[in-house]
Amino acid sequence: MTQAATTGYQDPIENTSTGLSSRKLMMWAFLASDVMFFGTFIATYLVYRGKSLVGPYPSEILDIPVTSVSTFVLLMSSLAMVLALHYLKNGEKNKATLWILAVVVLGTVFMGFQVVEFRLFAQEGLTPRTNLFGTTFFILTGIHGAHVTIGVIWMAFLAYGSHKGTLRSDNSMDLEIAGLYWHFVDIVWIVIFTVIYLISAADGPPPGAETILH
Amino acid sequence: MTTKSLTFPRLFPRPKADTGIWSWIGTVDHKRIGTLYGITAFIWFIVGGIEALLLRVQLARPENDFLDPEAFNQLFTMHGTTMVFLVVMPLSAAFFNWLIPLQIGARDVAFPRLNAFSFWVFLLGSLLLNVSWITGDAPNGGWFGYAPNSSTTFNPGIGMTYWVVGLNILGVASIAAGLNFIVTILNMRAPGMTMFKLPIFTWMTLITSVLIVLAMPVLAVAGIQLLSDRVYGTYFFDSLGGGDPVLWQNIFWLFGHPEVYILILPAMGIVSEVLPTFARKPLFGYPFVVFAGAAIAFMGWFVWAHHMFTVGLGPAANSAFAISTMLIAVPTGVKIFNWLGTLWRGNIRLNTPMLFSISFIAMFTIGGLSGVMHASPPTDAQQQDTYFVVAHFHYVLVGGALLGIFSGIYFWWPKFTGWFLNEKLGLTNWALMLIGFNFTFGPMHWLGMDGMPRRIYTYAEDMGWETSNLFSTIGSMLLGLGILVFIINVFYSKMNKKMASADPWDGRTLEWSVPSPPPPHDFDEIPQVKYRDDFWFKKHPETIAQYYHDEHDDQDQAVPSGAQFDGDDEAVAVPAVAENKSNGHGHGGIHLPDMSYYPFVLSVGITIFGAGFLTNTYVIAAGVPFFLWGLLGWSMEPVNDPE
Amino acid sequence: MPNLWQKLTQHDGNGWWNLPHGPSNEPNPPHEGPVGGPWLANLWRVATYGGVSHAGPGFYWFVGFILAVITLLEVWLFTVESLGIWFIPILLILSLGKFVGVMAYFMHLRFDHLLYTYFFASAMIVGVLIFTIILFLSEYANQPVLF
Repeated sequence: MTQAATTGYQDPIENTSTGLSSRKLMMWAFLASDVMFFGTFIATYLVYRGKSLVGPYPSEILDIPVTSVSTFVLLMSSLAMVLALHYLKNGEKNKATLWILAVVVLGTVFMGFQVVEFRLFAQEGLTPRTNLFGTTFFILTGIHGAHVTIGVIWMAFLAYGSHKGTLRSDNSMDLEIAGLYWHFVDIVWIVIFTVIYLISAADGPPPGAETILH
Repeated sequence: MTTKSLTFPRLFPRPKADTGIWSWIGTVDHKRIGTLYGITAFIWFIVGGIEALLLRVQLARPENDFLDPEAFNQLFTMHGTTMVFLVVMPLSAAFFNWLIPLQIGARDVAFPRLNAFSFWVFLLGSLLLNVSWITGDAPNGGWFGYAPNSSTTFNPGIGMTYWVVGLNILGVASIAAGLNFIVTILNMRAPGMTMFKLPIFTWMTLITSVLIVLAMPVLAVAGIQLLSDRVYGTYFFDSLGGGDPVLWQNIFWLFGHPEVYILILPAMGIVSEVLPTFARKPLFGYPFVVFAGAAIAFMGWFVWAHHMFTVGLGPAANSAFAISTMLIAVPTGVKIFNWLGTLWRGNIRLNTPMLFSISFIAMFTIGGLSGVMHASPPTDAQQQDTYFVVAHFHYVLVGGALLGIFSGIYFWWPKFTGWFLNEKLGLTNWALMLIGFNFTFGPMHWLGMDGMPRRIYTYAEDMGWETSNLFSTIGSMLLGLGILVFIINVFYSKMNKKMASADPWDGRTLEWSVPSPPPPHDFDEIPQVKYRDDFWFKKHPETIAQYYHDEHDDQDQAVPSGAQFDGDDEAVAVPAVAENKSNGHGHGGIHLPDMSYYPFVLSVGITIFGAGFLTNTYVIAAGVPFFLWGLLGWSMEPVNDPE
Repeated sequence: MPNLWQKLTQHDGNGWWNLPHGPSNEPNPPHEGPVGGPWLANLWRVATYGGVSHAGPGFYWFVGFILAVITLLEVWLFTVESLGIWFIPILLILSLGKFVGVMAYFMHLRFDHLLYTYFFASAMIVGVLIFTIILFLSEYANQPVLF
């Protein structure tokens, strides 16, 4: 058993009242804060679900197979992340660097999917200014995409650090904290994929939309 | 140990000066940051107060034309926004910064640079918000910014955009500060100071910080949504696209109600420190005060719709929220009885801080009672949007939060500066404020019952509201005079210094064990804590048996000998900290974090980025280099440069 | 045995409010490599042991595999038309499973200090409650009787 395994996930450097790393504690508090942030956006989406007055409606525009692939990509990036942390703690530098790079690549692929999706939607006539679905969809997934982009940049720096040897098993807390952020962004997408894509995919015009418009 | 790390090229040398402008821009000292918070917030307090006085002058007599309606709208919007976000929250933050490390026996907060960052973001955000006065188009949609009144359709000027951007930037500052204090309180406690030995002000800070961290993101979302409605023409709150303005109210008050507890809980903490000191008794029912605070913080999430009783949510929703609103008065009442219990049979010294604290209890109780009145939907239907509500929340915010903060200012001033504020001027200040306050807001109760609506810029002569309004205006002048006396007091006392000892009030908590003002490293030696109010029992060991027997008649709960921490992992872990911190070099063997200008750079980046939403995309882009410079420089900068 | 009130408030440092204890220092159970021996039993032990993490790459791959399978299942359920009103609850439960999986194992909450779980859970509890209430308020606004 290596050092990492016997100390659990405590940071051996820190001597605090709780024995926990201050930075990690703060990251968890920040994630709690982010729960409320995304929670409010998702609640807004749900309040407005099925209330768009004009098309395109989710049923006309959402492409579940494509999004399933991008969801899978983000899920696998989470796996890559946890493996990278494991290898880093074990001192296997090259494997760690490779897996952090895998996170960067998978995150970039996910963002690529999102950019393509946004462009396709725009071509098909759905923008934030088209209807309520467009408004809530673009802002929510856009904010999530911003989180992913920040994470990708962060991971790129860490990959460089791991390659250069400035990120090692003794300061693996740097990667662990970034990892918490990354996993959180992933679980937000788990919720978004279910709520926006799978559950709403059949949503059409609201009952009575015709009478409202004409 | 040689450790490689990434480095970021330094454009400027790391600030080292002890005096001068760079010593303030680069400071990471919690005491200096607290001072910066206090001074900035007090300046905004004067600005917000002048705004209020202008409003009162306009309302002094009917059919007045001192202000036009547009100016009136801008003034009441900015008065509310300023007082909530730029005065009471940062004044509380000033106390957090100054006191938390001192009270828990630490040498700084957990993240000193993040602390500096919070302040600079707050300062620049508050400036950005007030720049709108210069452009002549200040926010005018109320501090709650109700959609669709705040949408471009009904509010085409740029004022409300300033408001949204300003609040979002201030939100960043609040969340950063909240995270910092949560971690500081949990992780930086002196050896032996378990959670239930924390000073009560520290407990209230912890609870407030949790509320800030959870509530501010909700405001941020509301802000982002309104901003995208205003700037990009989305439909979040636009009923033409099917949007629902009531959603704005839901989201805003979802933030807004925890916010009022963010404003009042620190003041409650201050009062809970002042009363025991001047009654020379421990706080009565300490666990009750803590749990009541936690209960308020939790229940505060489930009462927001009482701001919306007249929206038409339906009887079921109204009843549910009426019940939860009335229930939240219970923990608040528990606290009031605890304060009374603390005073009961105490050896009371009536000086300025004590008088402010006692007035806090009385005024806050009045405000709380009128709050319970409009917790009932039928009553609220009569009182909604009348001056009765104005009277209510000024009784809890001025009579509550502000009197509490003034009590704290008089109480801790000798600790902060090393000299006392003048007692006679202090009493004058207190009397003028209390009388002026009651004259200002007392008459508003019956004005409201008489049907005078809020936010009207004038009223007709035959409404019968002249006398009360005139009284109210005269009262507001007295209140303003009281504040003026405070400012005079500060300068007078500075010129005629009456020096204070380390422990001028016979205090109870650890901040009184260090010199006044505290040295940069706060504690020469990290204290070992045995009891709640440890410092008091070190001074008066003869009282230990009395209080600890009183609280624990149960024999299993032995009188704490202090030396025993069996089974407590903190006792094992924490002495290492003390050792660790006192073995360094410099500053009398104590390492303090080095100064850094990156927090300032990063906050400049964020502010320029935000200002871009008010101007154009190029400005947003102009913020990015500052943002990256600050962020990268900060993340690659070691806390202490290698010597 | 202290009663509830004493447990909450006692001074000697063992009350609930003195924060839960960290990962246990018990010796590791005998265990070679990430997934060895009868591997399913081993997985179970790793997954349910609340203390020092024994999770290795094999375990993480297994969790990742399960999460991928759940995602596939969700997408497949999407094509099944006969689920009716059960569609949404089933999907919510499945995504909750994924959510918990990532939280517990990828974010190490299962092996980590309880305080982290408290932090996150407090936000989740408050968030889920209030956002559910908002959905109800929006859905049932202006209706004379809710129940």
